[in-house]
Amino acid sequence: MEANSATAHQHQEPVLKDVIPVVNPGHNFETVSDKISSIVLRERTPITLIMALGIAFLVMNLLMAALTKLLYQGVGVWGLNTPVGWGLDITTFVWWIGIGHAGTLISAILLLMGQKWRTSINRFAEAMTLFAVACAAIFPLFHTGRPWFAAYWLLPIPNTMALWPQFRSPLMWDVFAISTYGSVSLLFWYVGLIPDLGTMRDRAKNQIVKMIYGMLSMGWRGEARHWARYETIYNLLAGLATPLVVSVHTIVSFDFAVSVIPGWHTTIFPPYFVAGAIFSGFAMVLTLLLPARYLFNLHDFVTMRHIENMAKVMLVTGLMVFYGYNMEAFFGWYCGNEYEFYMIYNRMTGPYWWVYWLLIFCNGVAPQVLWIKKVRQNVYILWGITIIVNIGMWFERFIIVVTSLHRDFMPSVWGMYAPTIWEWMLYAGTIGMFIFLMILFVRALPMIPMFEIKTLLPQSKVRHKE
Amino acid sequence: MSEFASGYLVAFFFWFSISFGCLGILMIQHLTGGHWGFGIRRPLEAAAKTLPLMLVLFIPIILLSHDIYPWSHEAEAAQLGNKAKYYLNIPFFVGRAVAYFIIWSGLAFILSKFSLEQDKTNSVDSAIDVAQKCRNVSGPGLLISALTITFASVDWLMSLDPHWFSTIYGILTIGGCLLNSFAFMIIVLSQVGNREAMKGYIGSKHFHDLGKLLLACVMLWGYFNLSQLLIIWSGNLPEETIWFIRRRGGGWEYVGPALILLHFAVPFFLLLNRSLKKKPHIIAMVAGFLMVMRLVDLFWLVQPEFHGGVISPTAVVVTIVSAGIIGAIWLGLFFKLLSSNPLLPLHDPYIQKEAIVHGGH
Repeated sequence: MEANSATAHQHQEPVLKDVIPVVNPGHNFETVSDKISSIVLRERTPITLIMALGIAFLVMNLLMAALTKLLYQGVGVWGLNTPVGWGLDITTFVWWIGIGHAGTLISAILLLMGQKWRTSINRFAEAMTLFAVACAAIFPLFHTGRPWFAAYWLLPIPNTMALWPQFRSPLMWDVFAISTYGSVSLLFWYVGLIPDLGTMRDRAKNQIVKMIYGMLSMGWRGEARHWARYETIYNLLAGLATPLVVSVHTIVSFDFAVSVIPGWHTTIFPPYFVAGAIFSGFAMVLTLLLPARYLFNLHDFVTMRHIENMAKVMLVTGLMVFYGYNMEAFFGWYCGNEYEFYMIYNRMTGPYWWVYWLLIFCNGVAPQVLWIKKVRQNVYILWGITIIVNIGMWFERFIIVVTSLHRDFMPSVWGMYAPTIWEWMLYAGTIGMFIFLMILFVRALPMIPMFEIKTLLPQSKVRHKE
Repeated sequence: MSEFASGYLVAFFFWFSISFGCLGILMIQHLTGGHWGFGIRRPLEAAAKTLPLMLVLFIPIILLSHDIYPWSHEAEAAQLGNKAKYYLNIPFFVGRAVAYFIIWSGLAFILSKFSLEQDKTNSVDSAIDVAQKCRNVSGPGLLISALTITFASVDWLMSLDPHWFSTIYGILTIGGCLLNSFAFMIIVLSQVGNREAMKGYIGSKHFHDLGKLLLACVMLWGYFNLSQLLIIWSGNLPEETIWFIRRRGGGWEYVGPALILLHFAVPFFLLLNRSLKKKPHIIAMVAGFLMVMRLVDLFWLVQPEFHGGVISPTAVVVTIVSAGIIGAIWLGLFFKLLSSNPLLPLHDPYIQKEAIVHGGH
């Protein structure tokens, strides 16, 4: 109950001129529920959203086509060959997993740290996490071309061939890390939805809709006992989810770092990957949240305070990532190992030089404008920056995966990698799927937690008279 | 002579890490706010302002550099080639160190000056303007400090073996500095928290928060070290594993596991306990224990590179004695600086806000 009493206290604080509220003034319990639930229950779907859904659906079908082709013909349809055995598949996998980090960070860590501003954006970010993890899971499953073997390739299932996965391999740990992360995120998101599903049930007019929300709300009646249990389980899940934010991308970084490939084998990878994940996750939240805020007129609940704070998190994590690039370059020179030095030299001047410098521009240079308050508060420029960061983070993984592989230790096994149309279709298809699912989410569920917003209102102060 | 030189380096870095770590925490506090910073701002400022003293105490390391750093010898330098020519050489080494200290001391004094300026303001709005100035310095200041401490850790510690490298080393050092500084701040607050000026302002809530941050630092220490060990172990490349191999004999084989147990496992489980974190004197004891472990950890980072890889009892004595002497000078200056200004910032609007919210708990 600590979080609640902290929020109740805020209304005794002196008013500071530079603090933007997390909920704009003029709201009460009634208007909050009205505003948020009516997006789902009453209002007509905006035509732009229907069009976006249609486009996303079409793009999602590229995924179906690409997977069909892959399964029909095998991984030969991709541009992979010795020495580049991982290409767009793993690049995109790491990209999606990274994007899937913002949700749990916002929900769990910011909850435990008592940050009030997380409240209006957490559910949106969590939904995004789930869909991003779903997109990511496609790649490890399909990159072998034979997903029907995945059961005993990935999981330690006893089988007549006595085949076991290599327990020392982080690829194996990854299976557990990601499936745990996916399940805990889903549970966390669903538990957080229950009180609002009750509200939706009570407000729905259509009997079928009422029944669906009723079943999903698991008999929520808003009793004191319900709330007490809810608080307990929610905080427990937050505690469980917190180490997962760090563990998942740490293990993804181990996938690379435990090898001896220059460019992969470097001790800074775990914290640098985690920072990169949060960086790209926040960028993606803003990419989606800014248009949604405009489309559904959510300016009262997603205020400049949220947007600025997210921009600041992006700036900080972006600087951490940039620190990582610079350390790789410095130690590439300092270590005195010719292969290490060649790795960084090749990244900067080799055949993929333009990808490297684009990455430096997107993740290192462009986000520096976020130092300026005016930029952080300008939604148009900020949205542009988030797109640049999304692109930059994809390039980062491309650089790590491909440029480290394409120059093997001996020039006789040097090679180049160019993705084929089927790989691009797969990548584009997951973006389609992601947007498609996000649009369904904002149409079917309250995207902002109504009951949590209410705890921020002056009206809720009464409950905590001390 | 190497016993003396290497022992002094351990002791120097131990106290330096508090000066630097406190500067870092001060800047983080200006940027993030939060009630955990309430009550420790002035101690942080006082600790950060000892940085010029650390430059003076760095002089023996420069004078003893031939006994400490292999790359300062011509034969070794020739073997290192460009690395020694452009980076690991005495003139540049000294120049870098001086530059680091000028930057860090500058930040410490500017922030302290603003903080005192805020004490003299007479309205909330003008106090906010000063707070904004602090933030404007802290943002870039934190960035520059992170970069400079990384290179300082390469210069002073990693280059003890000029052939070995680990890209996480800078982050490991930053984590160690923050851990040591939070521990020190908890002890200071438990001592001055009862003073007349602090009464009614410092409560168990503040110790609870600082305890949580201490726990976070312990976990980060474990996380960074595990990452380094696991990646180097898996790669199994001779130029990297040598660092751990050196720490597998000569008595060091007991220090490593002891660090895992006493620097990580025991404090981790102790600090999970909520009521422990809320009791000032008990959390201060845990913090004191962690500071001892910081010294052991630094000893483990530095000493295996000397004395043929065997623990030298002389070096142990030198380390303890010089940590004591440097500590006496350092603490003397720290308390003098601390007592020359009000113990609490008078007009910080954010802290006043927190005082209303959390005071009296």
